[in-house]
Amino acid sequence: MSNLKYRLGLIVALVLVSAWALFPRDVKTRQRDSNGIWRDTVTRRVPLRKGLDLSGGMHLALEVDESKGVIANKAEAIDRALKVVRTRIEGMGVSETVIQKAGNDRIIVDIPGIDDRERAIRIAQDQAFLQFQITDKTQAFEKVLPRLDAIAKQVGFGASAKAGDTATASGAGLNGLLTAGGDTSKSVAVGAKKDSAKTDSAKKDTASLPGASGGVVSKMILAGQMPGEFLFDRNNEDALKKFMATPEVVAALPPGKVVRFGSDSSLIQNKTYRYLYLLDAREILNGESLTDAKPNAATMEGTVVEFTLSNEGGRKFQRETSKHVKDFMAIVLDNVVMGRPPVINGAIGTRGQITMGQGRDLQAAQDLSLVLKAGALPVPLKVAEVRNIGPSLGEDSINNAFRAGAIAIALVVVIMIAYYRFSGMLAVGGLALYVLYTLATLAGFDAVLTLPGLAGFVLSIGIAVDANVLIFERIREELDRGKTIRTAIDEGFRHAIPAIVDSNVSTILTAAVLYQYGTGPVKGFAVTLIAGIVASMLTSIFVVKTFYLLWLNRSRGAQTLSI
Amino acid sequence: MLRILHGTNYDFIKPWRIAVGITAVFIVGGLAFLGIHGINKSIEFTGGTLMQVQFQQPPNVGDIRATVDGAGYAGSEIQQFGSPRDFTIRAAGHAQGGLVNNVEVASREIEAALHKKFGATEPKVVRTEIVGARVGDELSRNAMIAIVISLFVTLLYLAFRFEWRFGVAAVLATAHDLFSTLAFLAIMRLEVSLTVVAALLTVIGYSLNDTIIIFDRVRENLKKARPEPLYVVLNRSINETLPRSILTHVTVAAATLSLLLFAGEVIRPFSWIMLFGIVTGTFSSIYIAGPILLWIERKWPRQRGEKSAARPTTPAAPTRPASAPPVAARTR
Repeated sequence: MSNLKYRLGLIVALVLVSAWALFPRDVKTRQRDSNGIWRDTVTRRVPLRKGLDLSGGMHLALEVDESKGVIANKAEAIDRALKVVRTRIEGMGVSETVIQKAGNDRIIVDIPGIDDRERAIRIAQDQAFLQFQITDKTQAFEKVLPRLDAIAKQVGFGASAKAGDTATASGAGLNGLLTAGGDTSKSVAVGAKKDSAKTDSAKKDTASLPGASGGVVSKMILAGQMPGEFLFDRNNEDALKKFMATPEVVAALPPGKVVRFGSDSSLIQNKTYRYLYLLDAREILNGESLTDAKPNAATMEGTVVEFTLSNEGGRKFQRETSKHVKDFMAIVLDNVVMGRPPVINGAIGTRGQITMGQGRDLQAAQDLSLVLKAGALPVPLKVAEVRNIGPSLGEDSINNAFRAGAIAIALVVVIMIAYYRFSGMLAVGGLALYVLYTLATLAGFDAVLTLPGLAGFVLSIGIAVDANVLIFERIREELDRGKTIRTAIDEGFRHAIPAIVDSNVSTILTAAVLYQYGTGPVKGFAVTLIAGIVASMLTSIFVVKTFYLLWLNRSRGAQTLSI
Repeated sequence: MLRILHGTNYDFIKPWRIAVGITAVFIVGGLAFLGIHGINKSIEFTGGTLMQVQFQQPPNVGDIRATVDGAGYAGSEIQQFGSPRDFTIRAAGHAQGGLVNNVEVASREIEAALHKKFGATEPKVVRTEIVGARVGDELSRNAMIAIVISLFVTLLYLAFRFEWRFGVAAVLATAHDLFSTLAFLAIMRLEVSLTVVAALLTVIGYSLNDTIIIFDRVRENLKKARPEPLYVVLNRSINETLPRSILTHVTVAAATLSLLLFAGEVIRPFSWIMLFGIVTGTFSSIYIAGPILLWIERKWPRQRGEKSAARPTTPAAPTRPASAPPVAARTR
């Protein structure tokens, strides 16, 4: 009798623990409201996480990109990149994101409920490497132009490019237009408010390049309004970018200088021009010194990102910029010159701003602030996998899975009760506890419910009654041998247990191996499997036995057992 | 008391040659099919771009194909997915290499082309999956390693709990299920995805369970005082466990059928494999594991007094002292 009390106590305790584990609780999440302000919101929900295939959302796998050079210490780099990516994604203000390392060289990002795929990829993947570099003043580009022309002839570049068109637009007419065009291209101003840098907006004369040898490249490229700035027709952009990246061209460029393309464009004589810059390779400062960044809408420049440098970074910036008064400073983000380089009118301190260029909204500025604040990625990352599931599809999946699950449970219950009658009901009682325990275990492990996981769970309900069936068949055999009901139940359980234990332990071993060597969904499946098996053994062997003992106690001297 | 197939005495082992012949033909045929057509791998393994689109009205499939071809993705697979309003478009290439930022160009271009053809909000893209090639390679390698190691661990466990003969027979029967399920997969042209791998693993576990239940009975029956040939013991054990087998398979089949019929398109391959797994698992427990055990027994006969098979099992040990007479002997 006391034995029975302990058994009942244990079952009740387990039920209470499970109920507590599954009880809807308050979850605090940070979300951005419609005005773009961060708010902590509290939602009440059952602590079982839905996978992306059920909730809808995006899954990203990022890998180290080695297409532009081998990364030496990948494992360490990916750890640092993980931190950066985590800060950025969590800053997006979507609740319940998952950012983790998978294997040695991959970062997994799960963002539930996001609909803007491109934006999320940009935030996760942009390297956000910010540099401040001075534009070239030595006319180095002009000097190598003949050499570039020769290379162009060699590699056959320019045959399809519209060099002629551009050339006709050059000359004095263009100079005048460029001054006007300078206004449409919103240029960069570093040192907002307190600092003294101001854009020297297109006051310098532009001329077609001196020493133009009449080659394809010289015809395509026009001198800009500041040293080291050049323009070209937008139609030639792709071809020119490709040409500039060829090894011959890279080798021909002057040492200590780098070519960078600009983010801005200008409309001149109904033609769109893009910018190209030759910069000193040495950076005067980079984004590591940045401590804060926030978006703003400036009246003159449009959308800007205002940034603050650390004290140390500010001092260095001041020192460097004081050496470069009257020079132009390019703000380079991931090798693209943002806006147009402003002139340095005096030493600049700890604050500055980056102009986003035309057509970029506040959202883009917000995202840029986010990635700048989180810091640059230590290694370039590339997207290896994207999975995007619409919320409606997720809802359909859940509904389908629940419908199938309900039907499956109903069928199993009907079969068990029809075949085993009273004992079948005990088994169904055990099954109810099985469902409760399994879900609680999953919640305890913080497992994610995916569609295959749900299917596996539905299936496990069918499999879970196997242990009951084994026991009941044994009890029947013992009854056939003329044993009393109490003995038959005892013996039935005792004889069925080795088979149940052996078959379940071997399945657990299989699942454990899967957990060790499997990836992603297979791992989740293994956890579900193990939780299900343990709960099934517990309910069939322990709980149903207790039910029997309870029944035997209440109906002393019962002559028949409905089984 | 409702009883099915109670107290039967069929000779299950006798027609094993026919059974093995049937399964051999099935597996060889299926694997030949696999050799000719190749495995129909899901995007997770091949890499590429998959889009699931939903139309308001059932569209003309030819129009979709023409649009996708026109966007520069000729040779894409376009399939109806469940209802006549849902389609999947699977484009190879473009996602694998080249420009770093351009993995999702294919999906964007196809979406743009579809919107141009069918309207600004038509069709709705409800799912997009873009996978690089390397991810898939790693996945299939890991799944393979996992399956092989788990079979090995099972072998060790069964050798320890029963004896090595039972372990080898059970593992070979399970390997049979793996191959016959692969053959089934090939014949049904089911797409091998991670979900399908999970189903395959479930089938392995389920079939192993079934074999162990029968072997447990054999182990028990071998312990009885009267020595009998293994052939007889095996047959009796299968007959004795028959009601349990039937009932368990029926409940699992019920759950699987409701998944197949009601859980939607995504889960369908999983359900098909599981349904087949119930059949092959049951079959192999009787016709593969049994004959193999007999064959091993003939090749390496059990020595008299070899106690591994008769060793009392650990969970039951405390309740049954070694000195007590065997339970069966006590009852009659």
